[in-house]
Amino acid sequence: MILIKDLVVKLGDFSLIIDYLEINDGEYFVVLGSSGVGKTVFLHTLMGFLKPLKGKIEVNGIDITYWPPEKRNFALIPQDFSLFPHMNVFGNIAYGLKIKGLSKDYIDRVVHEIASILEIEHILNRNVDSLSGGEKQRVALARALVVRPHVLLLDEPFANLDPRLRAKSRRFIKRIHERLRFTAIHVTHSIIDAILMADRVGYMKEGKFVIISHPKDFIKTEYARPYLDEILPLSEYLRGADYSN
Amino acid sequence: MLRRAESLMLLFVSITTLGICFIVLPIIALFLLLDPNILAKIYLKDPIFYVQTRKAFLITLEASSISTMLLITLGIPIAYLLARSNFVGKSIVEGIIDIPLMLPHTVAGIMILCAYSGRGLLGDLLKALNITIEDNFWGIVITMMFVSFPLMVDTIKIGFESVNPTLELVARSLGASAFKAFTTISLPLASQSILAGAILAWARALSEIGAILVVAYFPKTINVLTLEWLNTYGLKYAIALSIPLVLLALLLFIVFRLMVSRK
Repeated sequence: MILIKDLVVKLGDFSLIIDYLEINDGEYFVVLGSSGVGKTVFLHTLMGFLKPLKGKIEVNGIDITYWPPEKRNFALIPQDFSLFPHMNVFGNIAYGLKIKGLSKDYIDRVVHEIASILEIEHILNRNVDSLSGGEKQRVALARALVVRPHVLLLDEPFANLDPRLRAKSRRFIKRIHERLRFTAIHVTHSIIDAILMADRVGYMKEGKFVIISHPKDFIKTEYARPYLDEILPLSEYLRGADYSN
Repeated sequence: MLRRAESLMLLFVSITTLGICFIVLPIIALFLLLDPNILAKIYLKDPIFYVQTRKAFLITLEASSISTMLLITLGIPIAYLLARSNFVGKSIVEGIIDIPLMLPHTVAGIMILCAYSGRGLLGDLLKALNITIEDNFWGIVITMMFVSFPLMVDTIKIGFESVNPTLELVARSLGASAFKAFTTISLPLASQSILAGAILAWARALSEIGAILVVAYFPKTINVLTLEWLNTYGLKYAIALSIPLVLLALLLFIVFRLMVSRK
């Protein structure tokens, strides 16, 4: 379990303030908010790239507030996936295991295992430049999951995908999450991600979580209104066009 | 209209051809005026000449290679710091690094003497450490380093700037220390720029004469020897000495262009 208490992070004029936040093991927690509300500051603080002014972050009762990023075991999937361009797919997935100095046989076995789960075994020898957006995302997911992180941090993971791929990709990550039950913190400005993927949604505004709730409860709040106003006319249109048939 | 545009292009092509000829003609002339007998004499047949020639080449190659290796060691951390961090006075630091590019070469030599020679600011300290630079091999190395410094740092910096910083964040999140993320991600991805910086810095070191004349006339580098022979024996001897340098410079240039085009 991740516990954040009385956290204050300052970055120039901006402040991130979290009084209390608990994220349970295996939970899929979505951080929703517009640009500039502090989602990235939140992620970078969790990862250890930003030092809090005060407060603490605990993982299973251990205070990790000032631990360096490499000791935290919080794996990141950035928006652009940031695959290492000088390594092939296998090299990318194996990176975190090689850094830990694990044996070649073990690395080989574990990389194949995760590649099989993520259905990318057939591209292990490919150059990362030749991959499609969806394949890149799966490789980034494999690279992060293979180190068995305490938490998987996903920074707008669908933003760089073709809109036609997003729905498929959401279903895929949801399925993988249900199978592996890793703890995930997913940062997004899409209410669709929040509704379809989250166990709980944390809505951020001006550096604070103003509400944390189940997606079903969240959509009834005033904070969900502007997002829903954008998609409701579409659902009405689709109903009118008898889309279901 | 079309005819006018074509005439303009024709004019530009003519000017470009003239410009290219301006550069290429001296290279061709050097080879046309080369006297093979003198070439054989100064490199193979006459020990009075070839002992000096070989020694000067050896000193030039040794000093420029050592200066380049020292600059790689210095240049990588400096370039990385400048590429990755923002700090107060960064543009001043960048400006200071580029100063040697702007200085007249003799002035650069005089400045090096003022700082590091026996009479210079650090003279007593360096004397205590038994280091002298005037008319000394290490004087040549330090001078070459001084004039090549900006080329090395600026080229490597461009390389580090082109590496997406998120790659390092990901590496750190996967368990790599800052040093490990640097050596496994940023350093290999900037390796072409480091090599390009090394080639440029080496070429610059090889070509230096003005500052070296001021700091360390002895032991003679190939450029100093060429100037001396031009004054003593005339153009033919200077040409024969220049040929290998031109070939080396062209080779470095081709390698550099190939690397840039591969990027």
